[in-house]
Amino acid sequence: MITGFPVQAAPAETRNATSSVYIAPTLEAALDALSEYGAAGSAFAGGTWIMRSPIRHEPLRAHYVAIGKIAELGAVRIGSDVVEIGSAVTHATLAAALADLPEFGVLAAAAARSANPAIRAMATIGGNLATLDFAAADCVPALLCLDAEIEVAGRDGRERMKLEHFLEIRPTLAPGRLVTQIVVPRSERKTAHVRLPLRKAGDYPVAIVSLSASVDAAGRVRAARIAVGSVEPVARRWERLEAALIGRRLDAEGAARTATELANEFVGRDGVDAPAWYRVSVLPGLVRRAAAAALGA
Amino acid sequence: MGLSLTVNGDRLASAADPTTPLVDILREELHLTGAKPVCREGFCGACMVLIDGKPTPSCLMPAALADGCEIHTVEGLTTHGQLNRIQSALEASDAVQCGMCFPGMVVSLTHLLTTRPDATREDIRAALTGNICRCTGYERIVDATLLALATK
Ligand SMILES: Cc1cc2nc3c(=O)[nH]c(=O)nc-3n(C[C@H](O)[C@H](O)[C@H](O)COP(=O)(O)OP(=O)(O)OC[C@H]3O[C@@H](n4cnc5c(N)ncnc54)[C@H](O)[C@@H]3O)c2cc1C
Ligand code: FES
Ligand code: FES
Repeated sequence: MITGFPVQAAPAETRNATSSVYIAPTLEAALDALSEYGAAGSAFAGGTWIMRSPIRHEPLRAHYVAIGKIAELGAVRIGSDVVEIGSAVTHATLAAALADLPEFGVLAAAAARSANPAIRAMATIGGNLATLDFAAADCVPALLCLDAEIEVAGRDGRERMKLEHFLEIRPTLAPGRLVTQIVVPRSERKTAHVRLPLRKAGDYPVAIVSLSASVDAAGRVRAARIAVGSVEPVARRWERLEAALIGRRLDAEGAARTATELANEFVGRDGVDAPAWYRVSVLPGLVRRAAAAALGA
Repeated sequence: MGLSLTVNGDRLASAADPTTPLVDILREELHLTGAKPVCREGFCGACMVLIDGKPTPSCLMPAALADGCEIHTVEGLTTHGQLNRIQSALEASDAVQCGMCFPGMVVSLTHLLTTRPDATREDIRAALTGNICRCTGYERIVDATLLALATK
């Protein structure tokens, strides 16, 4: 018997929408077009969020500027001090580019395990960072724990900011401004990205823990960055847990115990996939898995 | 401005709005109904087509960005009415029930066969994580894919 598998007619909003799509050949052309369209326009990267606007009952914009053909935005440059990732790099390309760099394991895993293979070949890292109201974005906590910087460009020039700051200004990012690249410092560190979807693949994660730690010769934590995604509306660092780990040997059970003591600082969000309390209650288990995975890396 | 789409080797014009999902043009203008808009969210894979050789959910592909690309739907995977390797293996393995998910499965598996001739059972399962079947379970589909991989 077939249950619940109807062919969906296009939502009315899609049918009636009349939007323009401009395929920008260069960054300059994209910035010019975005600035001209102002609030009526926006960037179109992978489209995996935008094309689902009608399902969220959000109108499509009048104008889209497709950035996928801009060569400068599609490259990953691995330097000796930093890795620079163009904002239109897809999850699949990013995962492949970082596959042999263990210090970036957390980001490679975030890119390689989100969604499903066809979506990973479309969705971009810039879209992942720029999408408002997408609490479960995998690359955001991964990049928070790697201390990433975001470059934003407009017709008037480019500026660089910490990802934390970008997330604060994201809701008010002026029309005409584009994320152009993500810059991640290189260093020796152990990292891991652990996500809990309800099914093994395909679902949004209920909660995400991204971890990066540098340890001394005796195995004690010198520096740690831990970020939590999907639990609250916007991913953020778990600074009290980070501080509690400093100077201690990184061990999975100990980290999970400390996480249990500190988890009440999170106020979970309710969602169709999971209630707020559940998202918070799984955090210690994810911290245990993240620490174990980082130690194994 | 009209769009020009190359579908299964034929060049076709469309006057659709540029953000119209490709699946709607395929079904309603071109009457290629193999691709099924089931979730319209990129979750189920029933609308999967090959765009420049890559499996792509056609519900998320705006017509404007498909302009100029090579699009292959499930209808275009047979040659002179001959089923391709994966289609034959699925048929031989009785791996088909209602058929709702199958066009998308065939598209994803055709890509796997051409790009990963050494694919293991795990690789096949991973490649199908974007294709949801509500009827059959996956075992026969995976078995059929292994059979197709073994058939040169
Ligand atoms: C079924 C499904 C499941 C998914 N599951 C996950 C998951 O588990 N984890 C995950 O991380 N992702 C998941 N995604 C992918 C998610 O949609 C994308 O990662 C991302 O949020 C959107 O990226 P995009 O490139 O498709 O952006 P678009 O849809 O093109 O754009 C999204 C928004 O970002 C803006 N934007 C895009 N690029 C820029 C830029 N360079 N500068 C400024 N603004 C920009 C656009 O204007 C728009 O407002 C899933 C997608 C689908 C369809
Ligand atoms: S209809 Fe396109 S993926 Fe489900
Ligand atoms: S055969 Fe019915 S949904 Fe797969």
